[in-house]
Amino acid sequence: MKKEELIAKLKPIIEPYVQDAEAFKNLSEDTDFVNDLKINSANLVDIILDIEDEFDIRLENEDMEQMLDVKSAMSIVTTKISK
Amino acid sequence: MVGNDLVDLNEALRTSNWQRDRFLNKIFTLTEQQYIKDGNDPFRMVWRLWSMKEAAYKLYTQIYPCRFYHPLGFECEATNHSGAVKFNNFQCYIETTETPNYILSEARLNRQNLGSTIIKFGSTGQKQRSSELKQRLLSCVGDSYQLTKNKMGVPMLTNGEKLLSVSLTHHGSYGAFVIDHWFRNGNVSIGNEAV
Repeated sequence: MKKEELIAKLKPIIEPYVQDAEAFKNLSEDTDFVNDLKINSANLVDIILDIEDEFDIRLENEDMEQMLDVKSAMSIVTTKISK
Repeated sequence: MVGNDLVDLNEALRTSNWQRDRFLNKIFTLTEQQYIKDGNDPFRMVWRLWSMKEAAYKLYTQIYPCRFYHPLGFECEATNHSGAVKFNNFQCYIETTETPNYILSEARLNRQNLGSTIIKFGSTGQKQRSSELKQRLLSCVGDSYQLTKNKMGVPMLTNGEKLLSVSLTHHGSYGAFVIDHWFRNGNVSIGNEAV
């Protein structure tokens, strides 16, 4: 999957939990879920579950540990769907 | 050092669904899931345990500056209003206070009474509330102090000479801050734990 395509799939998953709409408009690989989008940490698990459902994958603890920004989410999904 | 975390229960009800498939397994150990099942209010227990884990994580990252997301690794023991959280070899004590509207937990290396100041926001909006909380904190310590964050996002108060460990939390309509080694009469004592 191309990077742009992957970001386009992740955006609607992330959007419901965003608390800084302005930062979401400028979402890029470098966007941080907590520092930039002000997503509540309790909702990070929802993003993880939504990603699992969307891509039909399961994230392990060590994958979850990294799930703090768009770049990490992209790399985890890319690795998992290639398996 | 000190870490705190507040959960606005109305906000949690509105924005999270702890009963969704796989939610509990992702963040709670089997022992914790048993607390949730056995309790007379599973919803409250979910958010009490969550606030304990978050407060412990904040304390942990003050001591070992880093960032990660591993709520399952922070294992809670909960009794009455006290508790303990373990993460690998790290262990801390937790004090929790609950009202019908919120749950607040505070994590320290030694058992201590709660020191958090809890506020109900007058403003609306995430940014406005975040700055309202900071203003309240700064008006409590006085103009000479500034709030800074290190690279990992760990907050600290400094007046150029002293550094004070501080923890802030906000969720929904409520926020709280706690300053380590801060006494209401204005005397600041800095012990060996201070950074």
